[in-house]
Amino acid sequence: MTKFVLALLALLVPVAANAITVKSVQGPTGVETWLSEEHALPMIAVNISFPAGSAYDPADKPGLANMTASLIDEGAGDLASDAFKQALESRAIQFGANADRDYIVVSLITLKENADEAFRLAGLAFAHPRFDAEAVERIRVAILASLKQEDEDPNRAAAKAWYAAYFGTHPYGRPQAGTPAGIAAIKAEDIKAFAAEHLVRGGIKVAVSGDITEVQLKKYLQTLFTPLPAKSGLPVPKPTDLGRPGTRNVVRNEAAPVAIFGFVGPMRADPDYIPAFVTNYILGGGSFSARLMDEVRDKRGLTYGISTQINDFRSASILVGSVQSDKTKILTALDVTKSEMARFAKDGAMANELADAKTYLTGSFPLGLDSNAKIARTLNGYQRAGLDADYVVKRNAMIQAVTLAQVNAMAKKYFDPSRLVVVIAGTPAAPQPAQKP
Amino acid sequence: MSTVKNALPALVLLAAGFGLATVGYLVLDADAAAPDAAPPAPAAASSASKATQFTLKNGLQVVVIPDHRAPVVTHMVWYRVGGTDDPPGLSGEAHLFEHLMFKGTKTVPNGELSKIVARNGGQDNAQTSHDFTVYFQRIARDRLPIMMGLEADRMVNLDLSEPNVTTERDVVLEERHLRIDSEPQALAQEQMEAALQLTHPYGRPVIGWEKEIRSIGRVQANDFYQHRYAPNNAIVMVAGDVTPDEVKKIAEDKYGAVPSRELAPRVDEPTPPRLAETRLNFAIAGTKLPQLLRMYRVPGYVKAPRGTAEAMEVMSAILGNGATSRLYKTLVVDKKLAVEAGAAYDGHNRGPGTFVVFAVPRDGIGFDTLETAMDQVIAGIMRSSPEEGEFARAKTQLIANYTYQHDNQYLMAQDYGTALSIGLTIQDVEDWPNRIRAVTAADVRKVAQTYLVKEEAVTGRMSPKAGP
Repeated sequence: MTKFVLALLALLVPVAANAITVKSVQGPTGVETWLSEEHALPMIAVNISFPAGSAYDPADKPGLANMTASLIDEGAGDLASDAFKQALESRAIQFGANADRDYIVVSLITLKENADEAFRLAGLAFAHPRFDAEAVERIRVAILASLKQEDEDPNRAAAKAWYAAYFGTHPYGRPQAGTPAGIAAIKAEDIKAFAAEHLVRGGIKVAVSGDITEVQLKKYLQTLFTPLPAKSGLPVPKPTDLGRPGTRNVVRNEAAPVAIFGFVGPMRADPDYIPAFVTNYILGGGSFSARLMDEVRDKRGLTYGISTQINDFRSASILVGSVQSDKTKILTALDVTKSEMARFAKDGAMANELADAKTYLTGSFPLGLDSNAKIARTLNGYQRAGLDADYVVKRNAMIQAVTLAQVNAMAKKYFDPSRLVVVIAGTPAAPQPAQKP
Repeated sequence: MSTVKNALPALVLLAAGFGLATVGYLVLDADAAAPDAAPPAPAAASSASKATQFTLKNGLQVVVIPDHRAPVVTHMVWYRVGGTDDPPGLSGEAHLFEHLMFKGTKTVPNGELSKIVARNGGQDNAQTSHDFTVYFQRIARDRLPIMMGLEADRMVNLDLSEPNVTTERDVVLEERHLRIDSEPQALAQEQMEAALQLTHPYGRPVIGWEKEIRSIGRVQANDFYQHRYAPNNAIVMVAGDVTPDEVKKIAEDKYGAVPSRELAPRVDEPTPPRLAETRLNFAIAGTKLPQLLRMYRVPGYVKAPRGTAEAMEVMSAILGNGATSRLYKTLVVDKKLAVEAGAAYDGHNRGPGTFVVFAVPRDGIGFDTLETAMDQVIAGIMRSSPEEGEFARAKTQLIANYTYQHDNQYLMAQDYGTALSIGLTIQDVEDWPNRIRAVTAADVRKVAQTYLVKEEAVTGRMSPKAGP
């Protein structure tokens, strides 16, 4: 390493703590709400999560949560779809929802001057969604088309197949957006029943950032949630029968197949989580700084990108990665990946890798909290993960406390390439010998 | 905001994150396509200018946009070079060069730059369009001097050795696989742009044609570097928790010593005439979803008389932005011919802008039926001025979207940078909402009548086809 680089390292000092303050707001409705007040821009960003994700889809109707989420802005109360959309768009209120595996996540963004109307319309959509036949059919064909389009993308095809291979018959194994047969089978009554059962007060998480005070927010929480029934849904069961390790193939003609590889990861509440998060950063989470990016892209030119991450759900956690490469190179890329995992498990990390990981993970933390939309999204994610409102304050100290021994233990515990479940979308050709770096 | 609705344009319909694809490099890495050059605008109707600019003695232009909400900065270096500057037969050179800028200098070894940024808690990446190339870091405010040092260093000291060039060329070929060759819609779009622009360089893909990428070597790369990368061809943009005075001091210290250079002249290619509409029928293996897409060659912000591009924005919003837009309302809701429909305008180019209209047919609906209905909607906006409600709604949304966009420091900096790199000014950026307000209903009809002509259009029909 050159003098110049050493000089830069000498400058390292802990980065200033992030500027945001998160307040837990006790709403009259008992819904968990966090607020980050920020008056620089006349706007408000809100994220609301209902425990109503695709894991709650009936086995014969995969896609019900997705369809419910997609219909959330399609009319409520006296306002049919067109009138509801006009009410939103004439005030530039952005309102919509997506279903992930555990939650339906709603996003509401409005100018401050239109906040009354924004919260009124959102409240109406939660308590009195219409699910008119016209809207249901229109959204059904749109979702069917989107499933076809997803199928064009080898990344999505590989991910879909990976979840099915790993989680099997557990609800997490079903495609989040549903299947063509499932979407076709869903009736308006199913959607109404799903909304009635799952759009309830229990388990809702709300994160708000922007030009709004606690007093104002409390009023809006009434508008949003008072009409909802005060009951709770059931948790998602833990998966019991996970997929066997090995490589599976989705037969497709791809010049550049995509491989998804993964195995079990630590749950969010597990003490392993933070050390494993840091360990994953060193392996494949750190973009250009990660070992996998170094070995597979920079040294060998085998791919444009490779990465790994921990995906924690409410009832399971996985450590997964993806890589796309020319069909003559994809198996080599996977071999290099596996040997890097094995090397990490055997030899552990270097002290400077851990130090670098800590500087990045702590220093970059404020970058994810520099806009209202990002703050609301990030805080809502922390709420879904079961964290406390002071997590933003404590988080960097938790990262700093991770030791090299912990990292090495995590690598040994998790990075076992023989346990990998691998799915390749596309057909690999005979690999070319790896280019010596 | 919903999963399947109102995503614009069709080519990015559903491009939103999917479980695994949320990692940094997919979101941030060197982008072959022109980034969404959304029109810039300040957070609110501007009273005083938010941005400050000054020029160093070596010709480097510096722009500072204070944003004190978080203790972070976005530092960008915009070079006035892009895909249009690729020499004939070497499409993709500007983009490959962007990758090479990460391959190290005399003092910073290959691959080390991004690691230094990460070790300082920052994120970095770069992007190439037809008109510009931009490098950026997002980082804690006190690390700005280090970032400026790194950028100044690679502005002059890049190590362009043969192995660096060839390995990175392989990475770019993989990027082409990932972004273009395995995406039937991206392949079709690339062909349509080539057909639309005829011999104008906007018709060449920024990422390059595969065979031409393969012919770029060290010598060409070095030539490109010597004549394009210099302080007098760059704009440094700093948005974030800083003041103009402190930025000026650091910039003078870090960039001040970089010598200016004689630049290769930038050719402003004229647009060749189009005398007939072009129609392209695609059946690309792997296409699952049929799609009807039309691209018009239209004026952009730089060349057109003031107000033209602004009227195009309003026209585009009325026709195809959101669920109450005419295309969605007519084709999807009322006539039930399409599952998705919309429009998008991109006018932030040195050369012509593009206006895109698209629709995805419902099962059993033929392209002829769908296109006839689409043409009727377009004819409608040419025939009479928009109604009051839709006209007001379009403007309200355009103006509010820029507050929402300026909530994001990176996008705010990108707004200013895009505008300045193509020759617009800070005032153009900050005055934008007022110019949108000034658009009249008659202006909207006029730009539709003048520019939505078939001779300036390429219509593509993408039919499903199984993989071979």
